[in-house]
Amino acid sequence: MVTSPPPDSPTVASRRLRAARALWRVLAGRTARFAAGAHQTWRRSLQLRVVTITLVASSLLVGGFAYLIADKLTNILLENAETDVLLRLQNGSDYASKQFNLYSQPQEAQLQDTIDGTVNYLAGGDPAQTSGVVVAITADSFAGFIEARTSPDVQVRPLISAELRASVAAGNVAHQVRTGTLDGERTKYLVYGSPVPTRFGQLELYYLVPLTRQDATAADARATVVATGVALVLLLGLLAALVTRLVVTPVRVAARTAQRLSAGLLDQRMVVNGEDDLALLAASFNQMATNLQRQILRLEEMSRLQRRFTSDVSHELRTPLTTVRMAADLIFAERDDFDPAVARSAELLQAELDRFEELLTDLLEISRFDAGFAMLDSEPTDLVPVVHRVTERLAGLAERVGVAIELDLPDSPVIAEVDPRRVERVLRNLVGNAVEHGEARPVRITLGMDQSAVAITVRDHGVGLKPGEEKLVFNRFWRADPSRARQTGGTGLGLSISLEDARLHGGWLEAWGAPGQGAQFRLTLPARAGDRLTTSPLRLVPADATLPFGGPRDGGPLAIGPGSGAGALAIGPAGSGDRAEVAP
Amino acid sequence: MSARHELGVVRRRALAALLGGLLLPAGLVGCGIPNESEVQVDGSGPAAEAGTVNGSPARPPTPTDSVEPGPFIENYLRAAAAGEREQAYARAKEFIAQEAKGLLPEKQQSSEIELTVVRLREKPEVTPPNNQGTSTVTVKVQQVGVLGADGTLEAPEASVTEYVFQLRRADPAGPGLLLTAVPNVLLISDTALREYYRSRTIYFWNSDQSRLVPDLRYLPSSVPAERRVTDVVKWLTGGPSKWLAQGVTGLPDGTRSINNATGADGHWEVNLTMPGADDKKLGLLATQLAWSLPELSGQLDLKIQNQKRQTVDLQEERRAHAAYPSGDRPARFSVYDGAIRPLAIPNEPRAAVPLAADDNKNVVAAALARADDQVLAALVVTGPDRRQRLKVGSGPDPVTVFNTSDRSFAALGRPTWLRSMDGRHAAGLVAADGKLYRFAGSAEMSLVPLAVPDPVVAVAGSLDGHRIALVSGGNLYVAAVSVDGGVVSVGPPQRLAILLTGVTAVDWLAENDLVLAGNEADRRPAIHQITVDGAQETALKRDIGAAVTQLAAYPGGAVGGLPSLSYMYEANRAAYRNNPFDTIKREQVLDVPAGSRATNPTAPFFLY
Repeated sequence: MVTSPPPDSPTVASRRLRAARALWRVLAGRTARFAAGAHQTWRRSLQLRVVTITLVASSLLVGGFAYLIADKLTNILLENAETDVLLRLQNGSDYASKQFNLYSQPQEAQLQDTIDGTVNYLAGGDPAQTSGVVVAITADSFAGFIEARTSPDVQVRPLISAELRASVAAGNVAHQVRTGTLDGERTKYLVYGSPVPTRFGQLELYYLVPLTRQDATAADARATVVATGVALVLLLGLLAALVTRLVVTPVRVAARTAQRLSAGLLDQRMVVNGEDDLALLAASFNQMATNLQRQILRLEEMSRLQRRFTSDVSHELRTPLTTVRMAADLIFAERDDFDPAVARSAELLQAELDRFEELLTDLLEISRFDAGFAMLDSEPTDLVPVVHRVTERLAGLAERVGVAIELDLPDSPVIAEVDPRRVERVLRNLVGNAVEHGEARPVRITLGMDQSAVAITVRDHGVGLKPGEEKLVFNRFWRADPSRARQTGGTGLGLSISLEDARLHGGWLEAWGAPGQGAQFRLTLPARAGDRLTTSPLRLVPADATLPFGGPRDGGPLAIGPGSGAGALAIGPAGSGDRAEVAP
Repeated sequence: MSARHELGVVRRRALAALLGGLLLPAGLVGCGIPNESEVQVDGSGPAAEAGTVNGSPARPPTPTDSVEPGPFIENYLRAAAAGEREQAYARAKEFIAQEAKGLLPEKQQSSEIELTVVRLREKPEVTPPNNQGTSTVTVKVQQVGVLGADGTLEAPEASVTEYVFQLRRADPAGPGLLLTAVPNVLLISDTALREYYRSRTIYFWNSDQSRLVPDLRYLPSSVPAERRVTDVVKWLTGGPSKWLAQGVTGLPDGTRSINNATGADGHWEVNLTMPGADDKKLGLLATQLAWSLPELSGQLDLKIQNQKRQTVDLQEERRAHAAYPSGDRPARFSVYDGAIRPLAIPNEPRAAVPLAADDNKNVVAAALARADDQVLAALVVTGPDRRQRLKVGSGPDPVTVFNTSDRSFAALGRPTWLRSMDGRHAAGLVAADGKLYRFAGSAEMSLVPLAVPDPVVAVAGSLDGHRIALVSGGNLYVAAVSVDGGVVSVGPPQRLAILLTGVTAVDWLAENDLVLAGNEADRRPAIHQITVDGAQETALKRDIGAAVTQLAAYPGGAVGGLPSLSYMYEANRAAYRNNPFDTIKREQVLDVPAGSRATNPTAPFFLY
């Protein structure tokens, strides 16, 4: 059985291919890494950039200059050689012409002798004493009668190109540089040719002058120029490196010091050396740092004093308030016995004392946050009951103002690692606000969660917020309408405290609102304490919110595209162009 | 997204840094001398100037010029000469059939190519073609010499007198011919030499640098005028002809020309290497060049190793420095009744006999010469014993002091003064009883050893005084004379190939020409003119009827009413002259004292 040799097995081929690809990947990876490293170094090191740029620029400059000089030198050498040879050639041509003018026929026997003699004469007679110059007389037009002669007797044909021969045959004095081997060594020759007019026609005289000396001189000059150039470029690079280093080192020190300053090490200072600009920079920097430090310390101190004051005032007020409260409670309890006007005053006193107490509580809470004493007491908590509790507690108020509280809660428990007391306070605050500003329209509480976060949104349909007020609402004692009387509870600190609570959890508390469309607040908390939030399970902007431009036509698509500002989105009714729809 | 963007920024910055770091050395390395560059044109080169070339490109004879064997061979004998010597073999081989080309072995080096010059003694003898269509041509020749690369015609090496050629039809049907058997040397005929070559005289200094000695060379007439300078310079640096070498000095050893001499239109440039060149040597060379290039005028720059050392005005140089003293204006004399008497020829100057009358008697033959302000007189006198003695005197005109030699001879030839000597150290040569003797003012005669087999019967000195012509055994010789330190010595004589036999007398007719008397092939006496190398011989006078016993000529050209190439001779006890040919009559003899015997003038000669 004959088996043909198995063709190069595809497995082998594919293995090779794979290996090649792997190699390529490795190489590409390394190159990319190297390039990335180089790029990083390039971006980070001013010194490298300056040195590189200096090297490149000086290389180009010095290179160009060196090229010019070397070229000029070579040209001068060559021109000198050409001038010399041309003179010799003209004399030689004159002489040869005189010699050959004695003959009227190329066949004349003595002509060949004369050519021999002339060539030897023009070559200087003694071949041992000539400087390698080769003289040749050729007779291209009389090849049958006259033999070309060369002195010294070497084969020069290959060195005299056909173009040169043609040019000389056409009656021109012409020259060319050629390289060839005449005396065993490969040498550059300046080949000069001239016609020699005779009575019977034209012969050609060639001088082949070795350019060994010129070549060596040119090479010497070139080597010198290159060495000088390279040295110059290296020196410039070194100089640039040194100078840049002089400048960059203090800048680096300054940068490091600034980094330390910004990290809070306010006592970091730069070393001041000498009296130059850099020393001035360091001194100024140090002065700036000192001033900053002083200012920061002063502000810190002031802030501390202020917080202390608030806390102290709150504490100091509590004791008399307790006494006042007890008295007020007594009066309030006995109000039915007073005449109606006094009874009314007792009620007012009771109400204002409640507010005052609330305010003090909130102030104490805020000062606790400010002092950094707030502690998170997180535990896994099911948020559904928390929401129920809040709504139940506010059901009375809602009923009073005619607001229906709608709940959108998942069926399963929503467990998160939170401080339930604080979450409840936040929710109470949000729902309370929503009910207050709900303008008898329903308030909807939605609870959502995903793997990493839980979110609660509280949506009302009150007057809403003007643009920009989403942030302001969290400011202490902020009011949408300062002229509006503070009628309904609210100390003006609720949202501030809620925000601090959310922050304490590592969560977000955000607001959305539009005039006439109500507002929505969203509390997002990490499912596990200490996790970082990236997204929220619920949308901040409610789905029923109308868009600022009036919204799309009924059932019409919405176009979202690049907006005018950097990173802004423009949203508007879609045109009739290409579109992609997203199914709900 | 933004991280990646920033990463990109970092990368770009890193890249910029890398570029900056690496571009500097890299860029600099790039800006050296390039290995190769584009062709750059520096301008247009010199353009050819239209010029004319002097020099006649004579068409060489070709095998197809003739279909007859005789003329074919004659053409063959011209072919090698007709053009550049380097292509002589190629031209000759066109005449040779393919299978026989190996019979003519070629010499590769241009300097080794020698042309054997032969003189055809008679028409080529042609045998009719045999069955194979081949015919044989026999050529009877006289070897004239060998034409070397330096233009000299050296004495012939071979003694072959007959060359045999074989021819066949070039193709069986056609009329053309080709050689199948040839001699193994490049032959040219003397007529081809005359036809395709031009003789030139170059000059070398004698040993004491007082006189320039002419040296005859041959240059192909195809060589254009511009190149003649080069050739002359090369000849001069190459040294004198072999036979002259003893009498002259060449340029310093190691002197050679660097490439061609260039120039035109009266401005010439000669570049030489010359060891130990100083102004004196260069001055001598300048004179040598000026005389060796007689047709040129204008400036000539002498460069030594490319350095211009001297500029010579050629004409001025020739005027200022004579090649050699040409003597006084020539005057004719003859011996009449035992005494020297002037001759009166119409239109020619007459002179008195520069001898004291007392000494002017019993003269058989005489040689008078002027040297500086002195007159040199050598008389062959007959003593009472009928033997001949030499009587020599010198001094201002008229010569009064004479010495007579102790030795007496049966027959003395006409003496000749060596004009290279100055007046106080005068010396001459004379053939006496078959030997050559040297004499001085004291009439003391000493034997000059000569490597010639036969007795010497006549001797004649040239105007420059460093060359002599000898007659020995009926043959003509030339030899160089050196007068080193007053000692006269004669170089090895070179025999010239001549047509005449039984030569009896000789004298110098021109700078490079001799006049000689002998017998033609038909045994009849005749007077011929011959170049000093024997290449060209022409008959001047035939049918003389009697042997010429004395021959005298004036070699200085046409001077003072005397036509050039003037000579006089004695035959059958009578004197004759040329220009026009005539006997010298008794009435033409002047100053004949009353009571003299009526006789014919004999032994005519020129005083110069």
